[in-house]
Amino acid sequence: MSEPKRLHPIVIVLTIGKRVKDFIFSFIALFFIWNKGDGGKLLLFGASAIVIIGIILISILSWLRYTYRLEENELRIEYGVFVRKKRYIPLERIQSLDISEGILQRLCGMVKVRIETAGGSGTDEAEAVLSAISKSEARYIQEYVAVAKNPSVPDIEDVQEPSNHTVFKMTSAQLILLSLTSGGVGVVISAVLAFFSQLDDFIPYEKLFRGVGQLAVSNMIVIAIFVFIGFVAAWIVALFGTMLKYANFQVAKTEHDLVISQGLLEKRQITIPLTRIQAIRINENIVRQWLGYGSVMVESAGGSASNKEGSKVLLLPLVKLQDIEKILGPVLTDYRFASNFTPVPKRAMNRYVFRSWIIIVPLAVASIVFLKGWGLLSLLILALVTIWGVLKYKDAGWRLEEQQLSLRYRTMVRTTVFIKKSKLQVLELKESYFQRRKDLVTLEAFVKVGFGGAGGRVSDMDRNDVKKVYTWFSRESEKRD
Amino acid sequence: MILEPQKRISVKALTVWRISGAIKIAISWILAGVAIYLLHIFKGPFWISPLLIAIELISSYFIIYLLPSLRWKRWRYEVREEEIELQEGIFIVKRTLIPMVRVQHVDTVQGPILRNYQLASVIINTAATAHEIPALEESEAEELRRFISNLARVADEDV
Repeated sequence: MSEPKRLHPIVIVLTIGKRVKDFIFSFIALFFIWNKGDGGKLLLFGASAIVIIGIILISILSWLRYTYRLEENELRIEYGVFVRKKRYIPLERIQSLDISEGILQRLCGMVKVRIETAGGSGTDEAEAVLSAISKSEARYIQEYVAVAKNPSVPDIEDVQEPSNHTVFKMTSAQLILLSLTSGGVGVVISAVLAFFSQLDDFIPYEKLFRGVGQLAVSNMIVIAIFVFIGFVAAWIVALFGTMLKYANFQVAKTEHDLVISQGLLEKRQITIPLTRIQAIRINENIVRQWLGYGSVMVESAGGSASNKEGSKVLLLPLVKLQDIEKILGPVLTDYRFASNFTPVPKRAMNRYVFRSWIIIVPLAVASIVFLKGWGLLSLLILALVTIWGVLKYKDAGWRLEEQQLSLRYRTMVRTTVFIKKSKLQVLELKESYFQRRKDLVTLEAFVKVGFGGAGGRVSDMDRNDVKKVYTWFSRESEKRD
Repeated sequence: MILEPQKRISVKALTVWRISGAIKIAISWILAGVAIYLLHIFKGPFWISPLLIAIELISSYFIIYLLPSLRWKRWRYEVREEEIELQEGIFIVKRTLIPMVRVQHVDTVQGPILRNYQLASVIINTAATAHEIPALEESEAEELRRFISNLARVADEDV
């Protein structure tokens, strides 16, 4: 396949869409600036026409110029309208191929292939996207890459099918529970609020609400109802968003990879090579924890700065905690998903509570001083924050196995992270003057995840416990003792 | 904690830190001067000026004198065959353990002040993090860089 190939022409539409999206705000701004008098209007239409024609032309040209081919064990992509660019990616450098289908791609029976490399350079230059190619073509590339990376495998067909077994399949009940308990709701609500506050200048709220206003100002309940309806609507939007995204969620294991497929309207397929997995993370938000559920994420070394999703992938969106071992144990054989953790010592509790107070106590004092009666409400927040601090203390814990370090801690959600010794990059211990007096040390572990690092951190562990972890990680501790 | 690392960084680091601290403080004195001048012109409240001067005096003492010596006293490092250990921090003491196999590359960096005192900083990069050993003697920094990059090359575990 050394012939340079083009993508499907539907890419032109995609590119136009994307560029128009980039321009839309300048369009709107221009509209408000120039939409005064006839001269302005003429100017406006002229400028818009030129920009739109320009966008269309450039989109067509960039489609014409974009070619790819597989040659000499490299994926060679050439593109660029004004500046010609060539990107040659050695096949063995390719970490994974993500295949997804947007609505437009599906209409033409095409797929989008995203090629992930190790992303060491940290820029988006590290990856390539073939926005629309046929499914058979995508499969061909997949197989070609698999063979190039693994020359010992004789026949491609054999690799693809037989060793492929399903690890996990989400049921509709789980999907609904997932959507109900997802944190996406908050995001949507804040987005909606931000949107309306931005539009303040353009939409004449005062006129709109003048009629309503007389009614409403005297009647706070009406406003409350409106707000409530707004929240419920936002929640339902988020609910359906999550459902669409995670419908048909399925995890399969092939010989060397985990393959995750998901999505109803936009299908996505993510391939994670087992050897690239750096850590396994379990997140439980407060509702899910209460119900005994959590979500499992895989942190892998793939991905790049522009595609953070590539490195932190949801493996099990929603699962009962006690089932994790059963589901993942056979797949990730070298991980131990134990749940009994050594807690941090009792004397650390004061520090956890105190830390949660640092910001809120001055605020509470200030609001009581300045707001008098209403300021007392801040005591409620103080109580909540205190409970939070105690929860953080209760959840903090660690566990050490011969080849694995497991840390548990809470930020907003409770996080449990499992790290293999061979994937642990750097270990850091921190102690402040006050910690030193109580023989407490904060432990932080770093792994490589995509661009930059991630890991886990447990505050205020017992000094002797930290010492154990430290000697466990140190390769020369035996020599020194 | 657990057997402190042994090696200290160059004593000249103190001078370097004091100089760069002095430069920063000088800038903030200028800003404070401008602020006081403006307050005077626009007849702002009187008590702000002495407060500003007091803050400047105290932070001068801290940044030029106290913090550099505390920082220097704490800074230790040790580079062994299989790992690098660092200790730093003034109020919070931070200990870092970097296995040699995790080191991706090593840089030496030298700003104008460091160069004037024949010093250089060594930056150790892993796949996830970067760590700086500040203000080593030039020759020592160079030697360290060679030493680490040699050892790092021997033990090449993929990410």
